[in-house]
Amino acid sequence: MKLKRREFLVSSAGAAAAWLALPAVAGAASVDAKPVKGPGKDSYRTSFYPFTGHPDADTCWSVSVGPDGRIYAAACAESVPGGVVKVVRYNEHTDGLDYLFSLDEMVNDPGDSGRATQCKIHYSFAPSMSDGILYMATHLSGPPIDQPAYSPWLSWHDPKRCFRGSALLAFDTKQDQVLWWDTLLPKEGCRCLLHDEERHLLYALSYPRDHFFIYDTKKRTRRDVGRIGSINAQTLFLDRKHRVWTTDDYGHLVRYDPEKDRLERSPFVLPHNPEFQTGWHSVFYDVAAAPDGESVYAATWIAASRLMRIWPNEGEWPRVEDLGPATQKRDPTLPKDTFVDHCGGLVFAGDGQLYYVASRWRDAVYNPMPADGPEREGVVWRLNPATLQRQEVAVLHHPSQPAQYISRGAVDHNGNLFFGNVGTKPVGIFKVHLPASRRKKNAHLPIRMWG
Amino acid sequence: MSENKKTKYDMHSPEAKALIDEIVHGTFTKEGTMAAFPTCFPGASIPIPADESHITALDVSGDGMIYGGTSGRATHLFVGIFSGVTGAVFDRGMVEGANHCAAVCCGKSRFVACVNGPDGGRVVAGSLEGLPFDLIQEWGFGRSPFQELGKVNGEPIVHAVADASGKVLVGTTSGHLFTLGMDAGDIKVVGEVPGNGRLALGSKGGIFGQDGSAHLWRYDVATGKLQRKAVALPEGAWDNVPLTWAKDHRSGLLYTADADGNVFSLDEELGFSGPLARTLLAPVGPMAVTHDGRVFGFCGPEMAKMFCYNPRTREATNLGVAVSVLEQRRYGYVFGDAVTGRDGQIIFGEDDDLGHLWLYFPRIQALP
Repeated sequence: MKLKRREFLVSSAGAAAAWLALPAVAGAASVDAKPVKGPGKDSYRTSFYPFTGHPDADTCWSVSVGPDGRIYAAACAESVPGGVVKVVRYNEHTDGLDYLFSLDEMVNDPGDSGRATQCKIHYSFAPSMSDGILYMATHLSGPPIDQPAYSPWLSWHDPKRCFRGSALLAFDTKQDQVLWWDTLLPKEGCRCLLHDEERHLLYALSYPRDHFFIYDTKKRTRRDVGRIGSINAQTLFLDRKHRVWTTDDYGHLVRYDPEKDRLERSPFVLPHNPEFQTGWHSVFYDVAAAPDGESVYAATWIAASRLMRIWPNEGEWPRVEDLGPATQKRDPTLPKDTFVDHCGGLVFAGDGQLYYVASRWRDAVYNPMPADGPEREGVVWRLNPATLQRQEVAVLHHPSQPAQYISRGAVDHNGNLFFGNVGTKPVGIFKVHLPASRRKKNAHLPIRMWG
Repeated sequence: MSENKKTKYDMHSPEAKALIDEIVHGTFTKEGTMAAFPTCFPGASIPIPADESHITALDVSGDGMIYGGTSGRATHLFVGIFSGVTGAVFDRGMVEGANHCAAVCCGKSRFVACVNGPDGGRVVAGSLEGLPFDLIQEWGFGRSPFQELGKVNGEPIVHAVADASGKVLVGTTSGHLFTLGMDAGDIKVVGEVPGNGRLALGSKGGIFGQDGSAHLWRYDVATGKLQRKAVALPEGAWDNVPLTWAKDHRSGLLYTADADGNVFSLDEELGFSGPLARTLLAPVGPMAVTHDGRVFGFCGPEMAKMFCYNPRTREATNLGVAVSVLEQRRYGYVFGDAVTGRDGQIIFGEDDDLGHLWLYFPRIQALP
């Protein structure tokens, strides 16, 4: 099964602002009151919450914890002509999903406009703790309603087709209201977003041009710092010095230092498979910060994803530890499907351990899984930062299909884990019920400031 | 819902797959082959820093090497060597105090670069690169300092070209025409001209530049005579157009385009043609002519698309957004200059962060 992905583009900037009420939110009922429970052990039990309230939804690229400690997710619809993203929130009281709003309606860019649509939020939730705002920025790829596909390169100069631009929304999680919105990236989508709350700055990578943008949330102004390459990294992260880090096409760390106002590249190549990779495409897929803020754990966006630990506050360029492959061995003569060979959902839980989901698949030579079992599966791993030992703790059970591709993970204020599912319909989010001993209140703190 | 409701596309329609393939794959380099080459010797050196590598000026030396200059946080001058057992771009060094390279011109014994910085425009020179021994086996490169040839008049330099003999550089600042002896390095201000757009060398040795919205001036190197309003521009949109040129080195014919993307040719004896064709987008950026007379260039801002003007068919076709899958996997969006290589390949300088030299090998045309 191939996941067809397209991404993408336009015009307008123009902040539209102003306190947009969400009629759907007030007293919103949980559409999915009955989650699909997986078999398995009581500890690390998994539940699946399909996006049945948004039948067009075909991917979930964003799962994040909000400043309120609750879990937010993007029910994206990118393969449907005219598809739009809806923002959902896990309701712990009903054990279901609340559908907060259809994003196109909030930003006056309807799905039937004939342009590429506001179809998804791609690693672009970013919290603001001081005021309870959850920032979110849209990405592109969904085709116009009367086209089967969309290319931002093809339609860049076409005012009728070109994506209007990534919409940035400030969602007040206390009032359940969109306070304001603006065009974050004209013509382009936002691949990933980060919030430096102390400085009131959002950082974003644009798609398709792979430019690094800075948005001032006080002034509501944007600035294009420059191009990084051709392959978007899927994550930005922040260090103690307010430097923003990402990667380039060739697996080098790239950092924006506000003091220098310059994008700098590390001369060193990040860890990668030495047998068939060169560092090319070893861009960040996901990065989670250790609770003490001294190191981050990262996985790369390439089949045979590599895990690593990076110490950004040390040295001129950080110390990087190669933690090895995230997924199984395989035939190196075959460029493996990146949808099958994948690692994502890195998240620190209340027990101080890193959790992530890595795919596993049947391979006659390298992993002869039982024929009566699933062909592919998403395995939840727990990694001990002190010993770097890893332990498989759960397998994500989807009611009708393998669930090996996880986009993001998050921990809520009760200490349970949530993972975004990308696959065939129905997609949705998983909840992994951690054992009581591994849960704690406000486990989401210190909160992750990037999508 | 918007007012003009559109019908949802039927993804099961028989033509859906073909249309999807056309949208996705029909977007990039539709004919010929692009190879994006980094500004380094891959495996032996690192590229020019990304924000100092906007390639804005190129020229070809007599032995086919590509000399160029960059803009950005700093200006670097480089040489690209692609023939024989080579395959490298060598950063000849950073030009102190410069952040923009307006032109690079190759002479018989050295190359000259016109650069700008906070203190205005100036000219520097460097020796021509010798052909390296064998860049698969072993090599050695050395960096020698540039020679400062001085400022022109304090104004920023807009563009410059070498004359037909390669002995004299003719350039413009924001308000004046100047010359420079390529060997002697003597700079002489000739007179006032509007410093708009690029210059071109005509088929009879005249140097042309834009003279307002309706004319070109012509400078004759041999006589030192500057003729204002020497050639009337053809009917077209010539206001606020950054004039760009391509030269057919076999016929001497020049090509240019107006602000609407209408392509014209200029024969120094016969004058301008009428509009030959129109590019998909405007403005027209850098372009160059291959040996069979086809013109290849880029048009449109931000995300330029390549075009081909074929003088035989008098058509300008859209070749799509540049993409390279050889040497480097990269999309190309903005280009600053173009030259024709030894074998008719077109070399484009990428005017972007982490700019590359893009070698374009046109499709070989079938016999009629």
